[in-house]
Amino acid sequence: MKASAMPVVAVLRHRSVVFLLVVAVAWGGWELFLVTTAPGRIDPALQTALRERAPLAVAITLRFAPENFHIRLFQSYGVVSGVQGTTVLVNRVSAEDLRRIARYYWVKRISPQSESVQ
Amino acid sequence: MMHGWRGNLLAVGRGAAPFALILIAWALVTRANVLPAIFLPPPADVARTGWDMLKDGSLWTNIGASVGRVLVSLVISVPLAVGLGIFVGLRRRLSPVVEPIAGFFNSLSGIAWLPLAVTWFGLGWVSVTFIMFNTIFFLVFYNTLVGVRSVPRIFEHAVRTLGGSRRHIIFQVLIPGAMPNIVIGIRMSIGFGWRALIAAEMIATSTGLGFLIYNASNFHQTDTILVGIITIGILWLLTDRLVLQPIERWTVERWGLVSSSR
Amino acid sequence: MERHWEIASTWVLILAATIAAWSLGAATLPVPDYFLPPPSAVLSAFLELIAKGMLPIFIAESLRRIVLAAFLGLFVGVPIGLLLGVSRATADFAYPVLNFFQSVSGIAWLPLMLIWFGFGERTILVAVNYTVLFPVIFNALLGIRSVPQIYVNALRTLGASRWRIVRDVLLPGALPNIAMGVRLGLAYGWRALIAAEMLVGANGLGFMIFNAQTFHLTSRIMLGMGIIGALWVALDYFLLRPLEEATIARWGMVQR
Repeated sequence: MKASAMPVVAVLRHRSVVFLLVVAVAWGGWELFLVTTAPGRIDPALQTALRERAPLAVAITLRFAPENFHIRLFQSYGVVSGVQGTTVLVNRVSAEDLRRIARYYWVKRISPQSESVQ
Repeated sequence: MMHGWRGNLLAVGRGAAPFALILIAWALVTRANVLPAIFLPPPADVARTGWDMLKDGSLWTNIGASVGRVLVSLVISVPLAVGLGIFVGLRRRLSPVVEPIAGFFNSLSGIAWLPLAVTWFGLGWVSVTFIMFNTIFFLVFYNTLVGVRSVPRIFEHAVRTLGGSRRHIIFQVLIPGAMPNIVIGIRMSIGFGWRALIAAEMIATSTGLGFLIYNASNFHQTDTILVGIITIGILWLLTDRLVLQPIERWTVERWGLVSSSR
Repeated sequence: MERHWEIASTWVLILAATIAAWSLGAATLPVPDYFLPPPSAVLSAFLELIAKGMLPIFIAESLRRIVLAAFLGLFVGVPIGLLLGVSRATADFAYPVLNFFQSVSGIAWLPLMLIWFGFGERTILVAVNYTVLFPVIFNALLGIRSVPQIYVNALRTLGASRWRIVRDVLLPGALPNIAMGVRLGLAYGWRALIAAEMLVGANGLGFMIFNAQTFHLTSRIMLGMGIIGALWVALDYFLLRPLEEATIARWGMVQR
């Protein structure tokens, strides 16, 4: 472990604080990005349903085949009723949770379940 | 400060008093029936289970398995790590590069290796002992390396100007100079290694104290769990008193070190 | 300047040699594919787990738990340790207890916690927080006790109040030990966290590598291991070590 030649306070300013600042800025920026792109993932057909408070039945399309991890994640938001290819069908999702799901960057699209999905 | 047997008795009494208090509090809480017995059995039950396990040998076999793994790993890893650490530390071109790599593997040491070990060696004592090996090895290696590198070069030069050979430099300057770090490394490796061992035994094998307490939780045998926990604590206290404190005293006497961290 | 070139070239050499040997071994060794995936497989696992959003979530879950434990350790453990250490009587009383309970790491308590709380978040948090708390309390206590009495007496002769003594002598004197205790506690705690996540099996990096082993996704195991090590190196290098070195540099150490 090398002893620093610089005054102690300067060391702190150079390593730990910079590190925390970088982490904070990067994290904040990323969250901002997620929040702004979230509405784009929700199908317009759902917009009216979102304003009502009723639980929704949605089809969440991903860019890849979902793994057990994703099924369990969606299970915490509602009731997973099936998987078709890259789409997961989830029932009883609240509007609040729907917006949360839309924030995930790996979600491609959220549409109503009545649509035929691939 | 009383000396002789009366002084010793007083010291033991002082050390034991807080535990006696905890024991009494434990007994009172279970007496009051605040929690179901399955959550916290009374000390008498735990003592009885412990005594039974001592008599039928099941506790001894598990103690033997765990302690045996620690000893085997120590005996093999420590000399290897110290030797390699000195070897690399001497090479002025290699050591600055190896040090951060060793630091990284040092951070990785322990239970994080378990899934890989199980992939390679399957479940069982091989995987668990492997975990101990690399925990102890990387810790001692890294600390030895840092220790050798931190010996001021002026000592080396002093020996050279007095006509000393490379052997003299290694054995009379570098190794003693690195000793505090080596000893710290060995002490820490016992601490980290023991913890990694308990965790690994819970996951990957069917003998040892870690397995004993994890298995007992599957059968809701809370008294067995507590016997195991107390055994682990006592073993550590014994290690501390019989192994670590003498080492610390030895380094204090020789190199004037006072280290108080555990 | 020449030394820097030497060292840089040694770095490149070692890196290249490792990747080459690893890839060669992965390709030629007579073992099943899942034994030793080549570095390219680990890289593609990294990209895959990011694309699927799994890696950031695993990392976030583990980091959340260790940060919580750090805060608890700092704001609960340090005050407790200081309070216990201020008076000789309480310090002597608490020392053996703290020593004993510190040696029984949080993971050893996990089976009991499983009976109490089941396989859930609370079990993990209790185990990790316990593991972090005891070294912090223990070292804070030692820190206060290690302040030479002569400083306390000096301030007393100048007529300082008890509070001034704590603030100007005991607290700064204990800081190096406190920083060391926090660093040690978090080192133990990070490893206990990974073990707890493996055992409780819900989420986090420990779960990720343990679960991957079940499906022989060894490239994911190696990726997870690399991230676990890298995260600790980052935490230690950027936050914990500077803190410890700063307190030692400023207020000195009894000896090291």
